[in-house]
Amino acid sequence: MNKHKTFKKAEPYIWMLPSIILMLSMIAVPVVTVFRLSVSDISRSGVVKGFAGLENFQAIFSSSKFWHTLQNTLVWTVVVVGMSTVLGFIIAMVLNQKFAGRKIVRAIVVFPWATSLIIQSIVWKYIISADFGSLNVILKKLHIISQNVNWTPSAAAYFAWECWIGIFVTIPFVTFCVLSGLQSIDETYYEAAEIDGAGFWKKLTRITLPLLKPSLTVSTVLNIIYVFNSFPIIWTITKGDPADKTHTLATYLYKLAFTNGRMGQAAAVSVVGFVILCICAGIYMILSLRAEKEDQL
Amino acid sequence: MTSHRKKNPWTRMLLYLFVFVLCIVILYPYFVMFTTAAKTREEMYALDMTVFPKEWKWSNFVDVWKQAPILRYFLNSLIVAGGATCIAILCGIPAAYAMSRMRFKGKGIFLGAVIMSQMFAPVVLLMGIYRLMLDLKLTNNLLGLILLNAAFNQAFAIWLLRGTFLSISPEMEQASKIDGCNTMGSLVRVLLPMAAPGIVTTLIFVFINAWNEYTMALTLISTDTFKPITVGINVFNGFNMIQWQYMFATSIFATIPVVILFLCIEKHLASGLTAGGVKG
Repeated sequence: MNKHKTFKKAEPYIWMLPSIILMLSMIAVPVVTVFRLSVSDISRSGVVKGFAGLENFQAIFSSSKFWHTLQNTLVWTVVVVGMSTVLGFIIAMVLNQKFAGRKIVRAIVVFPWATSLIIQSIVWKYIISADFGSLNVILKKLHIISQNVNWTPSAAAYFAWECWIGIFVTIPFVTFCVLSGLQSIDETYYEAAEIDGAGFWKKLTRITLPLLKPSLTVSTVLNIIYVFNSFPIIWTITKGDPADKTHTLATYLYKLAFTNGRMGQAAAVSVVGFVILCICAGIYMILSLRAEKEDQL
Repeated sequence: MTSHRKKNPWTRMLLYLFVFVLCIVILYPYFVMFTTAAKTREEMYALDMTVFPKEWKWSNFVDVWKQAPILRYFLNSLIVAGGATCIAILCGIPAAYAMSRMRFKGKGIFLGAVIMSQMFAPVVLLMGIYRLMLDLKLTNNLLGLILLNAAFNQAFAIWLLRGTFLSISPEMEQASKIDGCNTMGSLVRVLLPMAAPGIVTTLIFVFINAWNEYTMALTLISTDTFKPITVGINVFNGFNMIQWQYMFATSIFATIPVVILFLCIEKHLASGLTAGGVKG
């Protein structure tokens, strides 16, 4: 009987064991390694030569490229998440109306979500290229422009296009999160509000938005994490160039580690990214645990 | 905000205009992909570029398989995505089961850890992952990618599965236990069949994520024979000439199956993600 009791106590942990082993070995171990590498002196060939204290951090913090990259990362995350949330929300509101062909349009909106980021980026790289890019060809055929336009005259222009691609591929996720939220809102709320004489804005701000808060929170927080960590778009379009001006932390650390052979500094950049993400994770956990409590009440 | 009453015709017009523009913008890259894939190489770099190919070169879609080991890349992607999906589900189901049906110490902490693990995308851990794979001798190896993809999708798998399990009442399982089923029996015979839609959604979602994964594969795989399609497609990005037509033909082959899979789960996915999210 005692044995049975011990098993009962251990049982949940046994059920979770495979998952725990998988995540510990493949995620927790690299986390520890990254922290260890960030305070190590590493040769170009990748051999750890010893403890370096905070030298790697001093090196990256004294580089103007790092601060420019950090600024880019902030702009990138805020612009992409902000714009895609607003646009995705509007699209969801429209797709929630009844109209002919709604199913087809919903299916089309899924496309950018399902397509690999690398493929999406390659197509856009082709579209915006000046000499033979599709955008110039189409605009010329439509007689909107007469000469080929150089769509990427500067690093800032490249970065703006990268942000656009980021927004483009992020919208569907927001749209579908909002749509699922919209569909769970009881129609009678709106009917009651209309009887009380509420207009479009009143209904939007007093009923729709408050009831959509959980969906919007999830989509926003998840998007912050994905977009912050996004690598393929920028790596495909510019590789952080010209002159390392279009990096975000993700591409910057990749270049430091695997192109420039500065593993220690790359690990330090990882740790910085890590700390920023931890703050996001903390906020998210507080929010979701609070939601869980409300759920149980 | 669905309304059943008659709408102002102008609002209707505006609605259709909005939807029309939306579809044009979203489909534009796919249109470019398709038309460019059917162009000849000469036309690609000709001065008088056209929107549609002057001569539709359908043979590009056949030739591309001979130009580079595309088939190999596709097989690698299939192995990695398939393997990762199997492992992620086999580890995820028991964990999600424990977390939705059992009470135990540290459940909150584990739940938190699962959510936290999702915050760390592979790219931030790339240095650590690279070292780990070197130590395990799993660089240039599909098994390495399988394990990594399974691990990084574990959070999502548990999240989606737990949401599904929580939405199913435990009464049936309790009844089956009274009838003499053990925990394993009631899971396999009672819960899993009822949770099938949620499980299929999870399967497909993990598969698509692993199929589209790029960063880890780029870092870990340098041998041609082990490249998945996301990395292998750059074979057409040569030093002095990019063979756009082949690149886009390959892109189409890589995109179609995933879009179809995605359309199958689209309805369940969004509700699953938000429901799971709200529930923690």
